[in-house]
Amino acid sequence: MKKIIAYLHAVVLLLLVLVPVSCMKDRVNYTYTIETPVLQTLSQVRAGIKTGPIKPIENAGKIYSFGKYIFLNELERGIHIIDNSNPAHPENIGFINIPGNENMAVKGSMLYADSYSDLVALDISNPLHVAPTQFLSNIFSNRSFYYSNSTNPDSILIVVDWIAKDTTVDYNTYQRYMSCSGFAGCWYPAAYMSSVAAPAASGSKGIGGSTARFTIVGDYLYTLSSPDLSSFDISTGNPRAAGKVSVDWSAETIYPFKDKLFVGASNGMSMYDILSDPANPKTTGKFAHARSCDPVVADDNYAYVTLSSGTQCQGFENELDIVNIKDIYNATLTKTYALNHPKGLAKDGNILFICDESEGLKIYDASDVNNLHLLKHFKDASTIDLVVNNGLAVVLTKNGLYEYDYSDINNIHLLGMLLTLKV
Amino acid sequence: MAARKWSLLLCWHFAFCIWGFSQQVPKTASWRFHSINQAGLLEGEVGSAFQIQTINGIQHRTWFGGIGLGLDYYRFRGIPFFLDLRKAFSFSGKRFFVYADGGIHFPWPTDNEKGFSGNNFFNGFYTDIGLGYELIPLAKNSWILSLGYSYKKVAEGRVDAFCPMGGPCNVNRYRFDYELNRLSIKIGFAF
Repeated sequence: MKKIIAYLHAVVLLLLVLVPVSCMKDRVNYTYTIETPVLQTLSQVRAGIKTGPIKPIENAGKIYSFGKYIFLNELERGIHIIDNSNPAHPENIGFINIPGNENMAVKGSMLYADSYSDLVALDISNPLHVAPTQFLSNIFSNRSFYYSNSTNPDSILIVVDWIAKDTTVDYNTYQRYMSCSGFAGCWYPAAYMSSVAAPAASGSKGIGGSTARFTIVGDYLYTLSSPDLSSFDISTGNPRAAGKVSVDWSAETIYPFKDKLFVGASNGMSMYDILSDPANPKTTGKFAHARSCDPVVADDNYAYVTLSSGTQCQGFENELDIVNIKDIYNATLTKTYALNHPKGLAKDGNILFICDESEGLKIYDASDVNNLHLLKHFKDASTIDLVVNNGLAVVLTKNGLYEYDYSDINNIHLLGMLLTLKV
Repeated sequence: MAARKWSLLLCWHFAFCIWGFSQQVPKTASWRFHSINQAGLLEGEVGSAFQIQTINGIQHRTWFGGIGLGLDYYRFRGIPFFLDLRKAFSFSGKRFFVYADGGIHFPWPTDNEKGFSGNNFFNGFYTDIGLGYELIPLAKNSWILSLGYSYKKVAEGRVDAFCPMGGPCNVNRYRFDYELNRLSIKIGFAF
């Protein structure tokens, strides 16, 4: 009997083995994000520009220091207001909602920011109740896409946000669903759509990082929107277009020192004189280098340019170039120092600060440019850019803000931090 | 779902065979090292793919337990790392065995499989259960032929940023979870 049962099972097993391979189906689950754009008219966008409740720092951009406040750009969304009265405990106290914002500069009680292609002037006398005082339309030509068909702010629609919803479907079903292309009611998931400032010359101005595109010198606001270097008269508070000169298409940073502007482009650093005619900067010379990203800072005698490689700037160099600018019409390379992957930099007196990305913050004694001496090396976080003023270095990192006290160069130390809240 | 039922049925047979033939198995030497090295084909919905395995472990009488490492080219290249358990039995004078493997499949995608966007791949469960036959039994060595059901799970993901002309970018996350059911045919040499 046992033998018969065994034979029976052997036969069943054989049948199972001979099951056609076609029965072997693969199962593929496809998980994707359905993204629905949130649209607002330009009028609604402008009406919504004001201080709101604090938001987590998620995707920080430019950094700007003004008095006891730090303004930190949240890319494309607005500006975090950070009360830095106590650098050991910086406090996020508000968020100015400015859709399309990437750049800013501050003078007196006015903050100048971009909102897509518009220039916005905001009264920040009370940072908790910021209000726009003026809009200049269609200033930044490289982001003026929505002015193509209309100039009426009530009819211009702008994507201000996306609502995301994760969905998992059987891939075969999904493919059949997507085949409804061309019929009304088809809902296309995102996967488908995708195939398709400056050192303060006076106490009333703020200090921007070396990657800034906005800066203020005297009564003029300078903005960089490649290929335009534009100037605005802000003597009355509200900006008035004053002049415009063409710069290199790859220009990406602007840095003022006394009566000069230093414009960093991916193929070199250009210098502009703003003494004779502040409204119309006049080019005085250029220091060309290999193709790279290159924030720049300067003093009376030297310009300090960090070159970094990467897909955006296409270069392969990772170094610090020190350029002699004593003769502004004949800038010459003095010395090059190898670095890891430098980003922003700053200089205060003889102290040179370099954000060397994953290698952290490097602080040098630059009294002899031919022999930089490393004073301190902090590896707390991957650094991006910084502002320095009066013994305090505010460093933007991938983890948030770190603040260092350098008032005593023999005891440079971490004071406090405000960490990014990833959501 | 059909594949799952089929694998459950095979498991039932696996258990039955162990029970049913345990009295008829020729006893071999106790506690000796045993190595099984085999290559074969994986047949599934998208066609045939090559596989190769080496399993090394300890044999005690009719039982064998070992650790296996292989190469699995079905749909995505990967390295299965698994525990192998097998039981030998005799039937009408022929020598058979049933086996069950379970472990982790480590993806090792080719550039072509990664795609232009350099997709990320994630580890998943791996199993192979089936029946084997000793083709040419030698004194202590043998050529073996086996046939079974094999399953591996692979996840593939990618994150893209989609930026319209101006306006905030949105981040798109894609993930494909593959549950791959195959018929596994192997031939090898055991010593």
